[in-house]
Amino acid sequence: MDPVVLSIWILRLVFLALLYWFLWTVVRILLRDLRAAAREPGAELGRLLVLASPGGEPAVGAAFSLDAVTTLGRDVNNTIVVDDEFASGSHAVLTYRGRAWYVEDLGSTNGTFVNGQPVDGIAAIGFGDELQLGNVRLRLERARR
Amino acid sequence: MTLTAAPRIHPRLRRRELGLLVIAGLALAVGSMTLELTRRLAAGDEVATEPGLPFANPAALAIYLGAVFAAHAILVLTGRRTDEVLLPTVGLLGGISLLLMERLPQDLAGGLGLGTTQLVWLTTSIAVITAIAAFIRSDAWLRLYKYTWAAFGVGLLLLTFVLGREVNGQRLTLAIGPFSGQPSELLKVILVVFLAGYLSENRALLVEQSTRLGPIRLPPLPYLAPMVAMWAIALSVVVFQRDLGAALLFFAVFLLLLYVTTGRASFVALGLVAFAAGGAVLYEIVPHVRTRVDIWLDPFATASGAGYQVVQALHAFARGGILGTGLGAGLPEVGSLPPGGIPALHTDFPLAALGEEMGLIGVMAILGLYLVVIERGLRIAASAADDFRAILAAGLSLVIGVQAFIIAAGVLKLIPLTGITLPFISYGGSSLLTNGLVVGLLIALSDRGVGPPPPPTAQRGLRRVFDRGAA
Repeated sequence: MDPVVLSIWILRLVFLALLYWFLWTVVRILLRDLRAAAREPGAELGRLLVLASPGGEPAVGAAFSLDAVTTLGRDVNNTIVVDDEFASGSHAVLTYRGRAWYVEDLGSTNGTFVNGQPVDGIAAIGFGDELQLGNVRLRLERARR
Repeated sequence: MTLTAAPRIHPRLRRRELGLLVIAGLALAVGSMTLELTRRLAAGDEVATEPGLPFANPAALAIYLGAVFAAHAILVLTGRRTDEVLLPTVGLLGGISLLLMERLPQDLAGGLGLGTTQLVWLTTSIAVITAIAAFIRSDAWLRLYKYTWAAFGVGLLLLTFVLGREVNGQRLTLAIGPFSGQPSELLKVILVVFLAGYLSENRALLVEQSTRLGPIRLPPLPYLAPMVAMWAIALSVVVFQRDLGAALLFFAVFLLLLYVTTGRASFVALGLVAFAAGGAVLYEIVPHVRTRVDIWLDPFATASGAGYQVVQALHAFARGGILGTGLGAGLPEVGSLPPGGIPALHTDFPLAALGEEMGLIGVMAILGLYLVVIERGLRIAASAADDFRAILAAGLSLVIGVQAFIIAAGVLKLIPLTGITLPFISYGGSSLLTNGLVVGLLIALSDRGVGPPPPPTAQRGLRRVFDRGAA
């Protein structure tokens, strides 16, 4: 067989093989990423990041991992204790129902605010929205995955 | 008063990206050698034994690979923790495009010739990706001005209706002075930005179902208005611009994003029904649509007329078989004008040429590369910090994926053919630049270190609570 024809044949197959080597390497990277994400502990539904807290409890920058129901207030029995002089004992409750987050004001004295809007009873809240109880401001964020 | 120092930038190695780029570079070099040896063999045996390593147009390949590795170097120097898979994937697709355009008849593009023009646009596109991936740190300019962007997009569309130049019976090209481009390419990015802003803001309202339409429950009517407007825009693009591909792309991306945001299959079902109804009406009214559907149903009925393009493409795939004829060994007249060639091969039908020369295995590898882009985009969306970034990332990757699907399926006669470009492979500046913009944004969005900007807050007078200790 003509050496040129033969080398063209070999090069063609090497070209296709290299394309698949590339894809195989990419797929290995993707699988490693997926496994790393799956290994992370806890099936948290979301996170609450503390943006401002004049009282120091909770601390600014702290992030709370959220379950389906999270109560907030000054009373020590709350999931997240908000030690602020403008917060009520049982101030608000944050729930995850179906596919969305809701915040419910539990009749607090100074009210609960989502992005500066007062919550009347119950209100929907999305990732990236800001929650305010008294002087404490928190932001709802997606779970770290 | 002290000046705050700019945050120091630490270079950060990107080993995975480098490894993938080396494989991609090797593949492209081997492809270039195949191309050159095939050309020498066809030209005669005495040229076949020229000394030195045979590369087809080594300068162009060197410039392109240089641009991609320079992009890698810049991303390393800026040291952001961003995605490392997208740049090599897109780089490989662009390189395959370069090899193909060098092999097609050069007179398809005026001036510099097909291969060189494509090289210029490809390097510009890589530069766009690098600039955005390295330097865009905030998404506030997209997030805050979504209605401005939407108005800009509608303006572009109207401008094309009025000032557009007709090419092949389609009013797509907008020429202002010496610049010309296809606004529908940029429009798809603007659409995704607007939808991301609108859907992330009204997500909770859209999930709520207060309106009933027979067995289907819908969100409150006022929030449906933009959806209906979208449907109308897609249809008007078909009627006034005869651009079926863009209309299909806009509508598909819109439905997919609606599903991504709300998770309700009923919306998608409703959208498909509306689409089918609109399609049926258009089939009766617009002759252009009827021609396309008739060709799809039976291209062989008009094999030397309207169905010529599709029939030739099918023959090209058949000639390629499983392994393909090898790069450069396809029919030499394939890219030239009829008889013998496929019209618009370099813009709409590059997959047919690749199918002939790389075979089933090669085409599957190329489709695999598009799947990689989609997977990365959806991963970036899943790990995004908030809804806007998540929907934006999902939308940007779906734009590329859906566009590749529409044209690949059209060329393969799986759906009616619609003229639209194959991302990163088709010839054309508008397409390459906007797809570069999309991938650059995706890489920038994959940086988890950048938080969303704070929403506006109002300070209010507060009353002291006296129930300390009580419930």
